[in-house]
Amino acid sequence: MSRTKKSSKGREKVSASSVPAGVEAHNAGESAEAHQQQVAARIRAGLFAIFAAVSVSITSGSFGVDGNFAFWSDSIGGEQVFFSVPVALLWGIVSVGFIAITLLQLLRGAKFAWRASIGIIAPALVIALLARLLDGTTANLTVFFTSTLSFAIPVGIGALAGIISERSGILNIAVEGKLLSGAMVGSIASSITGVAIAGPVAGALIGALLSLFLAWLGIRYKVDQIIAGTVINIGALGITSFAYLRILQPYSEYNRPIGIETVDIPLLSHIPILGPIFFSLSPYFYASIGLILFFTYMIYRTRWGLRLRAAGEQPSAAGTVGIDVVRLRYRAMLIAGLLAGFAGSYIALSGTGGFGINTSAGKGFIALAAVIFGAWNPVYAFGAALIFGMTSAATTLLSGLGVSLPPQILLSMPYIVTIIVVAGLIGRVRAPASAGRPYDQG
Amino acid sequence: MTRIGAFARKLRVPALSIFVALFIGALFIIFTDVEVLGRLLSDPIGALSLGVGRAATAYSALLRGALGDPETIGKALASNGDVQLWARALRPIVESVVASVPLIFVGLGVSVAFRTGIFNIGGAGQYTMGAVGGTLAALIFGGGVTPVPIAIILVMIFGLIGGALWAFIPGFLKARVGASEVITTIMLNFIAAQFVFFLVSNFEFIQKPPRIQPVSKELSQFVDLPGILPIESLRLDIGIIVALLTAVAVSWFLFRSTRGFELRTAGLNIAAAKYAGMGAASSIITAMLISGAISGLGGALVAVGTVKQLSPGIAGSVGFTAIAIALVGGTRPSGVVATALVFGLLQHGGSLMQVTTSIPIEMLLFIQALVIAFIAAPELTLGIIKNPFVRRSKSVTK
Repeated sequence: MSRTKKSSKGREKVSASSVPAGVEAHNAGESAEAHQQQVAARIRAGLFAIFAAVSVSITSGSFGVDGNFAFWSDSIGGEQVFFSVPVALLWGIVSVGFIAITLLQLLRGAKFAWRASIGIIAPALVIALLARLLDGTTANLTVFFTSTLSFAIPVGIGALAGIISERSGILNIAVEGKLLSGAMVGSIASSITGVAIAGPVAGALIGALLSLFLAWLGIRYKVDQIIAGTVINIGALGITSFAYLRILQPYSEYNRPIGIETVDIPLLSHIPILGPIFFSLSPYFYASIGLILFFTYMIYRTRWGLRLRAAGEQPSAAGTVGIDVVRLRYRAMLIAGLLAGFAGSYIALSGTGGFGINTSAGKGFIALAAVIFGAWNPVYAFGAALIFGMTSAATTLLSGLGVSLPPQILLSMPYIVTIIVVAGLIGRVRAPASAGRPYDQG
Repeated sequence: MTRIGAFARKLRVPALSIFVALFIGALFIIFTDVEVLGRLLSDPIGALSLGVGRAATAYSALLRGALGDPETIGKALASNGDVQLWARALRPIVESVVASVPLIFVGLGVSVAFRTGIFNIGGAGQYTMGAVGGTLAALIFGGGVTPVPIAIILVMIFGLIGGALWAFIPGFLKARVGASEVITTIMLNFIAAQFVFFLVSNFEFIQKPPRIQPVSKELSQFVDLPGILPIESLRLDIGIIVALLTAVAVSWFLFRSTRGFELRTAGLNIAAAKYAGMGAASSIITAMLISGAISGLGGALVAVGTVKQLSPGIAGSVGFTAIAIALVGGTRPSGVVATALVFGLLQHGGSLMQVTTSIPIEMLLFIQALVIAFIAAPELTLGIIKNPFVRRSKSVTK
């Protein structure tokens, strides 16, 4: 059994970073791992085949039904463009897609880029599912896409924060707490100052503060990083709920943030249908895309990124070649905190309601799911956030239209998918080797 | 004498943690008071004394809510056995014990996992699934279908099974493929809540008529757990007895049985456990099964006996609190029971504090977080009482 390229890919990047220790130990487990990769590939092919079969059977059962959709043509709330597609056609496309993926998976085995292919087929599947469940009712897809994004932005940026800290070797289950704190502080700062930019800035700062506290507990006192993260999550829920009930509710003028207005990109925003979806959005969206791309470049293509990854994989080796691991971890945590707090401020500032109790509602944990699903790669993780956002948007849309479907099943999807991914059933994901382990700088 | 000294030293960190956390909580009460903040610059002394007064009022309300009002207790003592007066005098402390029952169960449950080196954050999910099991058993076997004692036993068994099954998933995945139990248990907590939502809003058999709210039928119509106090209106049922028996059983299991020894060995040093021929995988799965079963038993008994209804949010913050309790109690059953009773007092006292002084009970979550931080970093806690002029040894960073 030859070593597959995929299995050694992650390692090559690291071993290129002059981290020789432990490489021999890895080689011993190589063939076992390659075998596991083969098994996972077969399980994936099986799962895809099941999806293909189900899709085909749904296709055959949906002839004669039309899926009715609408888009806002030039601005939200303006004129709507209606169109309808036969549901059978949508499912036909999904079926063909799944059959193709199944075949490719069987032919290419472990080399097949299954994450990307899921990324392509999942949106089509969600739309087809939506059309089928709507059963003739008209749904506005512009709203669907924008609500997907409004879910994906905090989750995707929260995931980016998780990736940066875990790449540096600090396990970060405190994203949820930072989102929540960022949301509250962002809302208060925006309300008091009356300046729109104050919200995201203040949110980022409180996130950074909490993140440094987490790093301090983990690095200075060697508190188990999971326990430290739990402390932040519980503490943030307690403090924000307490402060909300004690101050923000009776004195609601502190919880009336300046709304962040959408930015119309000149020219592009006037494109019919596409304009309102992609080019007339909250500045948070453009900032998020920028941050994801920037940090992806930083992590994989710069010296800083190489050192970051080295510190997360083999901190002792990194320390030997003169990298100050402790300082690097503090800095990574600072960046992660800024990002998570920024993402949190979006939750409070994007809508009209300001901050509410437990307003992040588990998005920080879904972000962890996106980190794992995206194999600690920011772009993949953002893709996962988009898919999770679509399931959430579909649920909202359907329940708003009164379509009876147990939405709990859809809402559980991100969590179920995460368990499957963590279990390595459909493909191995490997966390940075030293994430969660304290480092002794001797 | 030395034994008492050793005992006192063991208590030092937990007790100090709780006191320091309560003190910081008081600071929070003072500095989130809008009136205090408004006067802080113009009249700092007056503002602070106002704030301290408010904090003192709040904590005295908490104490009265937790233990009882001295005045009412005095009246009851003087009344020569007036049942009504006694009920009123004892209600706070009894309710505090009632509040500690779920905490004892889940605290014990997560302790078993912690002892085996598994960070089971899934207490809430396992508790919820236990509640599901108990509710189903009550609906199926209660209401005269089977004799009451049998129905109660079935409630407990279904609870055990529900919790154990839910804990088996992360345990199995950890043992077989090394999936991080932290992530899987967090995810399973969410799935459990969604699952309950699904059950109580889609099945006529379960949902409370007229089927508008996502809650189950009133379970007291089906199974009622017998109370253990002579005064009828005080609702302390057999749940607390089962909880204490469970603590004894866990204590025996962990410290007197071979299997418990294997689990603890795996928790201390998994490599050594393997070398000694103890199956690490089976230790992990066993520990998770036991851990989940205990939490599930608690969920079933509380859902049927105390809350008398199944709802998606039935676990509340019990999962978080249980982690704090397990850590403060040193993952020892006796410590867990004692800490759970203290947290039960705080919880019920906190609800009276919220009613009388409108200081939100959510403060307790914050206090729990602080307690966990102090317990997890004993150097930090001891550093607080250490003489600040003596340089701390560098051993912390080494």
